[in-house]
Amino acid sequence: MNFTVEPCSQETSIIRIGKALDFRNAAEFKEMFQEQVRTGMRNFILDFSETGILDSTGLGSIFSLYRQVSPLEGQVVFAAVSRPVQVVVQLTRTYKVFRQFPTVEAAREALL
Amino acid sequence: MDTVQHRFTDLDVVVDHLHNLFDQWTANGFFPSLLEPEMIHRVRLAVHEWIANLVQHGDFQDRVPEIRINVQPNGQSIYCVIEDNSDGFDLNMNLQIREAMIERLPDRGMGLLMLRACTKNLTYRRTKAGFFRLSFTVSADQEPWLQIPF
Repeated sequence: MNFTVEPCSQETSIIRIGKALDFRNAAEFKEMFQEQVRTGMRNFILDFSETGILDSTGLGSIFSLYRQVSPLEGQVVFAAVSRPVQVVVQLTRTYKVFRQFPTVEAAREALL
Repeated sequence: MDTVQHRFTDLDVVVDHLHNLFDQWTANGFFPSLLEPEMIHRVRLAVHEWIANLVQHGDFQDRVPEIRINVQPNGQSIYCVIEDNSDGFDLNMNLQIREAMIERLPDRGMGLLMLRACTKNLTYRRTKAGFFRLSFTVSADQEPWLQIPF
């Protein structure tokens, strides 16, 4: 359950979440984004196109990322949100916090 | 009414097996086609959160863990029963504490609240056989909402 990071500018990265972000790999996700923030990344596009599982711990780790980059005027946005992820977004109304884009490309255009 | 029951004993792989099972049920038409896919995802999420809680916090002492999952589609709703041989805990108290202590954009502590928000008729009790039994219904007429402070 590895995440793929693709830098698209000095301050913006795409994180491809893959099949799951849940209690089993949330700590790995946090380590990964903390390293990204240390290297100057501020804006994160989370690509959920392949994601079948987002649970409460996974969502908590995304909140953690948001708390970390907000004071730096960074952004966290969701792209290509799959149906299982959309269920969590609707349940928790987190669309109020994270802007959503239909594709990664649309998110990238909005942020760059 | 179709009923499917499955038994799991390995906590290291139970989550993968659970989701494989849901994938199979979806592919095999176990869930009636009239049910919205979102509703089936809510069932999957609710079961996942409970199993995640068992894997992370369940106390099975020196017993081989045993988790039994029973899912019954019934018209516009899906009824679920999950039994386990852990020592159990006070679910209602736990929910009250988590609700009272939920922070702004929390890292942890949302799982059981999410489970409750997704479901109706949530009950948790000890069976005569010594298992702990969680039961709930996920229904098409719900518009679930977990209020998280932003």
